Amino acid sequence: MSRREHLRNLALIVVFGLALAVVPGTVSVYLRSFLMFTMMYVVLALSWNIISGFTGYTSFGHVAFYGIGAYACAILVADHGWHWIPTLLVGAVVAALVALAIGYPVLRLKGPYFAIAMLGAAEGTRVIATVWDSLTHGGLGISFPNVENSFPTYYAMLILMVLTIAVAYVVGHSRFGVRLNAIREDEGAAEALGVNTTRYKLAAFGLSAIFPAAAGGIQAYKVLYIDPPSVFFVQITIAMALMSMLGGKGTVVGPIVGAVLLYTIQELTWVNFPTAHLIAYGLFIIIVARFMPRGLMGFAIDRGWARKGMVH
Amino acid sequence: MTQRTVIGSLAAAVAAVFVLVGGPALAAETVLFGGAISQTGRYAEPAGRQVNAIKLWVDEVNQRGGLLGKKIELRLLDDKSDTQTSIKLYEKLITEDKVDVLLAPYSSGITEAVANVNERYHMPFVAYGAASTPIWEKGRKYIFSIVGIAEDYQKGAAHLAKQIGVKRAAIIGEDSLFPRQSGKGAADWAKKLGIEIVLQENYPQKQMDFTALLQKIKAAGAEAIFSNSYFADAAAQIRQMREQNLNVKLFAGTVGPGLPAFAEQLGPTAEYVLGFSQWEPLPDVLKHPGMKEFIASYEKRYGEKPNYHAGGAYGALQVTEAAIKKAGSFDKEKLREALASIDVRTIFGRYKVNAKGMNDHEGVTFQILKGERRVVWPEKWAETKAELPMPEWSKR
Amino acid sequence: MERSDVRSLYRLAGFLVCAYALPFVVGASNGNVHLTERWLAYLATVVLSGILQGGVYAMFAVGLTLIFGVMRIINAAHGEIVMMGAYLTWVSFFHLGVDPLLALLFTLPLAFLFGMVLQRVLLDGVVGQPELTGLLVTFGLGLAMIYTAELIFTTDFRTIPYAPATVQITSTIAVGQNKVISFAMAVAISAGVYLFLRFARQGKAIRATALNAEVAMVCGINVRGVYLITTGLAAALAVAGGALVSIQFGFNPETGVVYTLQAFAIVILGGRGNYVGALIGGLMLGVLEGLVSLMVPNGTAMVELAAYGLMIFVLLIRPSGLMGMKEA
Repeated sequence: MSRREHLRNLALIVVFGLALAVVPGTVSVYLRSFLMFTMMYVVLALSWNIISGFTGYTSFGHVAFYGIGAYACAILVADHGWHWIPTLLVGAVVAALVALAIGYPVLRLKGPYFAIAMLGAAEGTRVIATVWDSLTHGGLGISFPNVENSFPTYYAMLILMVLTIAVAYVVGHSRFGVRLNAIREDEGAAEALGVNTTRYKLAAFGLSAIFPAAAGGIQAYKVLYIDPPSVFFVQITIAMALMSMLGGKGTVVGPIVGAVLLYTIQELTWVNFPTAHLIAYGLFIIIVARFMPRGLMGFAIDRGWARKGMVH
Repeated sequence: MTQRTVIGSLAAAVAAVFVLVGGPALAAETVLFGGAISQTGRYAEPAGRQVNAIKLWVDEVNQRGGLLGKKIELRLLDDKSDTQTSIKLYEKLITEDKVDVLLAPYSSGITEAVANVNERYHMPFVAYGAASTPIWEKGRKYIFSIVGIAEDYQKGAAHLAKQIGVKRAAIIGEDSLFPRQSGKGAADWAKKLGIEIVLQENYPQKQMDFTALLQKIKAAGAEAIFSNSYFADAAAQIRQMREQNLNVKLFAGTVGPGLPAFAEQLGPTAEYVLGFSQWEPLPDVLKHPGMKEFIASYEKRYGEKPNYHAGGAYGALQVTEAAIKKAGSFDKEKLREALASIDVRTIFGRYKVNAKGMNDHEGVTFQILKGERRVVWPEKWAETKAELPMPEWSKR
Repeated sequence: MERSDVRSLYRLAGFLVCAYALPFVVGASNGNVHLTERWLAYLATVVLSGILQGGVYAMFAVGLTLIFGVMRIINAAHGEIVMMGAYLTWVSFFHLGVDPLLALLFTLPLAFLFGMVLQRVLLDGVVGQPELTGLLVTFGLGLAMIYTAELIFTTDFRTIPYAPATVQITSTIAVGQNKVISFAMAVAISAGVYLFLRFARQGKAIRATALNAEVAMVCGINVRGVYLITTGLAAALAVAGGALVSIQFGFNPETGVVYTLQAFAIVILGGRGNYVGALIGGLMLGVLEGLVSLMVPNGTAMVELAAYGLMIFVLLIRPSGLMGMKEA
């Protein structure tokens, strides 16, 4: 792809962001929240995709980083009186460090073993958040002082999302991204060609932990009360994977489409059909995973509606 | 093309949401009551009974001709027992659906989060599913409580323990907001009454094997156990005590023993267990006005006697009704004023809140005797004398 | 066995010794270890109870390890099948008045059938796909099962008061009758499955396919048939597990996930696809959890951490676990 095309695409991302920036003043608080959470899932799905879509290492415990971010924000704001914005950075840094510490040993594991280890790591993080009472107040949870947060969290999430899309785009089209794809296709061969796969995997893993942590922090500031089960919720990991897969994992656009689509469908259905909706959600997961492993983007590429090179 | 796809799909999504949640058109003679209560997920069981009571009350009011001449339209959403979903739904109810009167959610954790939302929009409600005091200690003005506080769940059991000469007790409980508050209360009451706490430990949600914890309790020499628990954990504890032949003088649960399934499914094992209830369907004992009628119509409609969750929700709505009548309108500020000052007797008991918005509700401690819950404390309501200490397992 | 393989086994053994010593060390430094006769009786009760518990967990973990070994699929709905077993038992006990153990006579064939249908409809298409596909498909299945159960049974907790009395082993050590019965049943069923895998033709075919599906196919084994039997067997084991936990604990539609995670840890500890490994893993995990809970301060909360920690460390030291096959 030419330099011009890249610039055009990045410009599109910015325009897309600006378009969303003028929206909130014109819609209701609820719709603003809805858009905010939709953007959050875009961030989560894209981040998950950086490690699991690009390299093929299925992180089945990515919610750990989201939870760490949420707790960093809650602890620093509620217990130490920080302004909430810097806590997002702290959460991101802590999550990245934790990702490197976990990833260094665990990324040696292949296939299902990595998936299970990450599941264990996420559940373990939840338990630590529960038993480390002096820091996290355990099962009591943490409550923030009440604030008007509708606009601030919307804009914070918007900026985070634009940033995540831009980073995912750059990664997807860089030599770094090419090497991550090489790891997915054949790790042994990539190694034989002199790619230091451990370093690349680790870098991708650390990068993929940053954005969910910031998103978790913003989310915590929006909800104003968190406890371990609500922020270390396994289904958040599932949603990341499912949204990526629905849109097309390993691409940049896929997870965005998947997140928007899935979150919207859920919002529209569950209000009216509480239990039935959840059964349908289970069946939907089965259908997507079973019959659309390459997602909507794969579908579009096969029919020539999207160009492969553009989306990886 | 691909980025445009994104914008396109997002725009479509936004448009779809606009169309679908545009809010129901309301006829002039109806008034909209709305809330989000867990109909699925971990709180569905107790919250479901509150939904029952709410629906019953709405139908009754509408049969009577409505409230201030308006029929009530009810909008109950499901928060999936999830905090994030819940606050989003309350924003929806307030800003999109523009409900006139807000109903409370279920559980202390979710109420803690939702209390910020309704506070911001000055929409008052009477909470019937949250008993943790911290919610009312943040200077909030638009949340009121009808139920007794979590810290008093073990008050009766502690007094009964004192009466039978218990000197050393253990406090255990699930590690989440509400059980921890009731555990804190149990410790305070024990201290006041001169009972030494020899072990205090929280266990994670979904814990099922208590063998080691029970052995620790035995090792610590506790004569009584105050268990701040729900159904599954309390049931597992008492069963495993029997299995391990561990005898104590007193075992007090909080929420679990009050559920009908506890005595039904555990049978003889559940005998002599103490439990706490905000309210019991005993019109002859509690003597609150209207109890008989409420119990009869609830039982007729749902095939079971109402438990305290149902009673609390119904009572809270009676309070709301009285406050609306007193205010003479559905105006949220006037309603808030009325809720803060009104003194009213409901099927659930008296409602008169203090400056923090908390009601001084007194619950009952009961004991399971021959498969029935019998009130044993406070004395003014006691149906029978508590049969304590519990007989040893081998002598039953 | 290769030398590196032997070495990693030694490392794993060393790690496990440390893992078991740790609760004692932590306990001793916190004054929770007392070498009195009374305290040793507590310890013995906890260890015994851990073994009884572990035996039951091991039995249904075998189901997970079979599917994992033969098809490389992690069945995230395993706990939900356990939950289904608990409800089947509950319905037959409270509504049909059938003894929970007798009920196995018709619930197990039913479960086997369920497993076979599951294999044909869902899992056949997942074999050979990346692990994410299997994980998501089975997770989706689990969700659908949870909420279908909520529709039918509501979220109220249930339990079966079966054999609730005590078995006094010494004057100070006692365990539950239901636990002893469950353990005995689990041992009997496990032994049956072991004999089947060891000596029956289909059993041998399952093991051969687990070792190498391609070679098995070349040798004329009907691999699809093997898949069918494997999942049928796995479902039957899970349902049997559900019956045995239903007479000990309370359950509702959402409790399955606890069992899924337990089974994961056991399978990892024992080794993928290894039957005996899963049994040993189950017992070891049961005992370790008891020790942690008894001696570590705030121990009950630490139990989960011990289980996940064990799982991760075993994966790192020796992904093939105690007795598993080396990953090709």
